[in-house]
Amino acid sequence: MNYFVGIDIGSTAIKVALVNQDSQLVGVHVTDSGSLFHKNAKAALQTLLDKHSLQREQVKYLIATGYGRKLFKEADDSISEITANAIGAHETGKAHGGVRTIINIGGQDSKAIQIDDQGTVTNFAMNDKCAAGTGRFLDVAAANLDIDLEQLGEYHFNGTGAPLTINSTCTVFAESEIIGLLANGHGKEEIVAGIHYSIAKRTLRLVKRVGIEDRIYFDGGPALNKGLVAALQDELQRELVVPEHPQTTTAFGAAILARGEWLADQSADGDGRERLDSRRGLSAEKGAQVVVVAAPKKLTADCD
Amino acid sequence: MTPTVTPASTDVSPDTPAFNRSRQAREAEVMLDHLVDDFSENPVAMQYFYDLFRKVYIQGEQVQRTTGPQVGMTCIQAPEELIYAVGATPIRLCNGSYHYDQIGADFMPAKSCSLVKATLGRLHDQEKGVPRIGKLDMIVNPSTCDQKKKAGVMMEDMGYPVHDLEFPNVKESEASRVYWQRSVRDFAVRLQQLTGKKITRKKLNAAMARTRRAQIAFRALHNLRRKAPSLVLGKDIFLVTNAYFFDDLERWTVATEALVEELKQRDADGFNAAQKKAPRILFTGSPPIFPNLKLPLLIEEAGGVVVADETCSANRMLYDMPVVDEWMVNHMIDSLADHYLKPCTCPIFTRNDDRRRRLIDLARDFNADGVVYQAFSGCQVYEMEQRSVAKTLNDVGIPMLYIETDYSPDDMGQLTTRIEAFLESIKARKRQARAKGVSA
Amino acid sequence: MAAMSEFGGQPTSRIRRAVNNVDLQSFRFWFQLTAFVLFVYGGYLAIDLGNNLPMFSCGYNREGRAGVCYLLPLQHQLARPWEQLFSAAGIAVLTGFGLFFLWFIVLNKGWCGFMCPLGTLQDWLTSLRKRTGIRYSLYGEKPFNALSWVKFVLLALMILIPLGIGGGWFSHDMGVPFCQICPGRVVLPLFTGDTTQLTVDFSSIGGMVLTGLGMFITGMFLIGSFIKKRFFCFFCPMSALHYLVAKPALLKLKKDGETCTKCGNCFNVCDMEIRAIADDIVKKDAMTDDCTLCLKCVAACPEPGTLKVEFARFNIFESTEEGFLKRMNKGAGCDAHCDTRKH
Repeated sequence: MNYFVGIDIGSTAIKVALVNQDSQLVGVHVTDSGSLFHKNAKAALQTLLDKHSLQREQVKYLIATGYGRKLFKEADDSISEITANAIGAHETGKAHGGVRTIINIGGQDSKAIQIDDQGTVTNFAMNDKCAAGTGRFLDVAAANLDIDLEQLGEYHFNGTGAPLTINSTCTVFAESEIIGLLANGHGKEEIVAGIHYSIAKRTLRLVKRVGIEDRIYFDGGPALNKGLVAALQDELQRELVVPEHPQTTTAFGAAILARGEWLADQSADGDGRERLDSRRGLSAEKGAQVVVVAAPKKLTADCD
Repeated sequence: MTPTVTPASTDVSPDTPAFNRSRQAREAEVMLDHLVDDFSENPVAMQYFYDLFRKVYIQGEQVQRTTGPQVGMTCIQAPEELIYAVGATPIRLCNGSYHYDQIGADFMPAKSCSLVKATLGRLHDQEKGVPRIGKLDMIVNPSTCDQKKKAGVMMEDMGYPVHDLEFPNVKESEASRVYWQRSVRDFAVRLQQLTGKKITRKKLNAAMARTRRAQIAFRALHNLRRKAPSLVLGKDIFLVTNAYFFDDLERWTVATEALVEELKQRDADGFNAAQKKAPRILFTGSPPIFPNLKLPLLIEEAGGVVVADETCSANRMLYDMPVVDEWMVNHMIDSLADHYLKPCTCPIFTRNDDRRRRLIDLARDFNADGVVYQAFSGCQVYEMEQRSVAKTLNDVGIPMLYIETDYSPDDMGQLTTRIEAFLESIKARKRQARAKGVSA
Repeated sequence: MAAMSEFGGQPTSRIRRAVNNVDLQSFRFWFQLTAFVLFVYGGYLAIDLGNNLPMFSCGYNREGRAGVCYLLPLQHQLARPWEQLFSAAGIAVLTGFGLFFLWFIVLNKGWCGFMCPLGTLQDWLTSLRKRTGIRYSLYGEKPFNALSWVKFVLLALMILIPLGIGGGWFSHDMGVPFCQICPGRVVLPLFTGDTTQLTVDFSSIGGMVLTGLGMFITGMFLIGSFIKKRFFCFFCPMSALHYLVAKPALLKLKKDGETCTKCGNCFNVCDMEIRAIADDIVKKDAMTDDCTLCLKCVAACPEPGTLKVEFARFNIFESTEEGFLKRMNKGAGCDAHCDTRKH
């Protein structure tokens, strides 16, 4: 049996997905990125293989995606996380009648992707300049409210009052606002709901840039937060397709693509198959010069 | 008269070796190294241009031009033939340096166009700024976009004599055509006053012949880019046209003609500068000016190739050619005026029908797989036209990637992701189309 | 794949290339000279191409003419008494028109730009003006639009007045009304030494008015053609008649609006000042009512294939980069790579 791996090296977390020749997801592994991407990615891959008692040689093709994809020399090829996410969502979405719009909220960015019936990206919009509307906002909020990330969903549904409006467009300034609300005696539940709606509203604006077409798929780490899902569904006025392991859709997509590439190689195209990442023979070191870890750049109101 | 405020940058005189390490030089060096070293088998004829940029931008040498009064231009709409005809030398001042962008930010609002900021920043440095062009006897500032228009007074405050060249906002009407012809005539009169020489039929004819030769050389380059797989990469073409801003006209023309010959030889030899399946990109929007060749560089590093462009730092500057019916001075000047107005596809006009048609024509003619549209943050006209251009292109099945960026280098990672996703989707589409074609 | 050319457009055969690169000015000069000699002096060689010619081969040039301008016999025929006109004589009108039409559709309005002696004369006056260094005049958009209908009014009058004569309303002194005011009648016979048309006919009031007007118009013609290119053609009723029946013509001027860069070069060189050739990017048929098919626009267009001349749908001449550059350089007086800094 041949196996294929997709590894999503994000700025906060590394996700690895293992897929077999029948396109079935065999296993996933999620771990923190830390500061040594390369080392931690290698370790993550090994952990997953050990979990399923596999040798590295049984993995016939490995594709890396995410911000750290260029650094991972072990990969056979690399692809942008947008394309990988699209493939993963398309594949998973087959069981739900097909998806056409993908919303991804990651640790430090958010994306909206529109795909066609083949899973090809037709349009996309990204917010990677500003932390508002990303997982970072949730981190900051949870820290300020002194609760765990995993509890956010629970708090959202336990509120008795209406969700509070968070006015600040910026994560950093929203912090002060949250503290202020707490000081004024407002309940944590209502604040949490307000935060979720704030993110949902921003996300709605982002999705509108690519157009809303049913069905909509929602992934990324924050999609585990059921409260956020509820707020987003409310803003979009429709139900979302949320996978069981939303952080791993992108890695899964990369693994599916790895399988596809290997199979195509086997059927010997003959006219010189181009690599997906047809960069002009750049060494990994040179490639590193163009990768910059995204950080909120402007603290002005043009964060959108 | 020159202001004595010392800018915050490390301002070192060109005589000291420390100049090479100044921020401006370093920025240019990083970009030039990428443009040259990240790619294999650059055309031999490009060495002239690489050396030119190295000398002028990194070593800070004086630009070697024929002597005579120098007229700076802030826009390609200023008829340079007239400047040559009075015995002066034109030089395009539009600047691409982040270093100067930061200096110019003192003069302009936060959310304004990097290009104008950088131009002002460079002018502020007077004769110490790079490229080192010596004294500017006049700056001609066409009233094209708002920010350039308002920058004219700021340039005057820096001590430069500025001529406001009145440019119409509407290109279709008879009134604007006549207005522009008059404006150009006034400019001709002003130029004659500057140098004390009259524009005669002979001198203007000679000037037009010189630029015509340069235009012919560019057209040849442009036509050779149709070839698939490509004979030359877009990053080199941008360097060639960027050199036109400040290089000596005849030297530039000869070097470009040499490049044309080499490309013709490459064609005969069956040489590819890019992969057969490299996505062919049409580049449009705010002009890439060295060292800000960020986007074309990223596109080609990601495996695409820029086969054509619709920008004023390349195609628009050199493509269109004027015609003359009767060789008399006044008619020649009016013909030049028409040539600078009529085919112009700059977004500063009220309507952009001509620009959209030009883009579709170029996309079809060069078999472009997609369009990358660059808009500088704060450039309202390009930002506003984005939607109509996207719709027009999508309606004929050409995908477009819109990127809003400025001169700062810290968004390279984010741009790479977008560009790669775009190129990947193009490749996927082509694969799909091929699969359909096979099974059909 | 064929070798890439440094010129845009499709690769073509050597003949095609030579045709597209032609020095149009020179070609037209010789063509027009030959046609002038033919139609003004051909009669001496007993050449007679009939009475239905679609341009001003003036009938009043009795000795030299090689055929007669159709307008003369047309006005004669239309002036017949109505009982005759609307019965047997009417057949003559129809066959006359039919022959005119057959001549016309071969060259469309190219008769104006390449064959008409009166047109050629205007072009010679223009050359004279160029030598003196005097610049040409332009109408401007408003006057152009306002005056463009004059030729149709003249055409209408040219038909209605003879009909009026046949119906008994106007006297025969007003016969051949257009010929009486036409400058061709006065000027062309001069080329064969015939000065008899240089008169005012005082024998009747109608004749006096019309021939007086004719002398005035001849004066206007000479001055106007000197300062404005093809002055008379703007008002010519033959041109109006051409345009009304131009649809089935074989020679056509075509424009591909999609590749047009709106550079306006075509409008710049147009003798007739036709804006539509530059501004209209929708219509494929680019010939307007004022156009003389002189083809200067095609010669001035730098975009390959944007302006084309077709004969029976077959492409015979089109705009090319190479042709444009050759013609521009020739006009400027230098070859392709001249370094004119020596001036």
